[in-house]
Amino acid sequence: MFPIANNVRLEREARGLTQSELGAAIGLTRQTVAAIEQRRYSPSLEAAFRIARLFGLSVDDLFRWEE
Amino acid sequence: MSFRYKSALLSLTSMALIYGWFFVKLLTQRHVGVLVDPVVQLGGTVLAVAVVQIIGHIIIAGTSSDKYDAMDERERGFDRRATSVGYYLLIMGALAAISTLHMGASGPYMGYAVVLAIVVAECARQGVFLILHHRAA
Repeated sequence: MFPIANNVRLEREARGLTQSELGAAIGLTRQTVAAIEQRRYSPSLEAAFRIARLFGLSVDDLFRWEE
Repeated sequence: MSFRYKSALLSLTSMALIYGWFFVKLLTQRHVGVLVDPVVQLGGTVLAVAVVQIIGHIIIAGTSSDKYDAMDERERGFDRRATSVGYYLLIMGALAAISTLHMGASGPYMGYAVVLAIVVAECARQGVFLILHHRAA
């Protein structure tokens, strides 16, 4: 498991988006969105900013370092 | 399964089966001592792989539920590592193909050895991509 935890699933579900729709909006596949949500993949800084921007949040609100 | 995963699976399977059939047939014919215009056979093999892959990709794209079909950053990472493995295999294969010249192989057979090196390298590239994708799933 990667050390970067996130609230992506929570925020996505709150907005009624599917993994596939979120992925299409930010240029990721559904599998990559699922991997980010399950902490099996840490997104690039660019992808993290794209997700945060889409949700109207800061990267700090969405991602945190957790060992 | 993402579009890229299915695409890699199709490429690996079609190349392994069709080129495998070509090389087995080439070796069998050489063993018997009869060569049935291998250039036409190679051309047919290349054409068969192209046709299977084009039709297969159209079917995969048509049935894919994923809204994002391009390779994303995670898959590009897998692809970079897979390409690196394929590249080293291609270099080794090319050197092996050149060495067949010193083992008395004729021009056409050295050419086939180069084709074999390319096929093995590409199969390895697709195979490593699939393994990395599968392990990360």
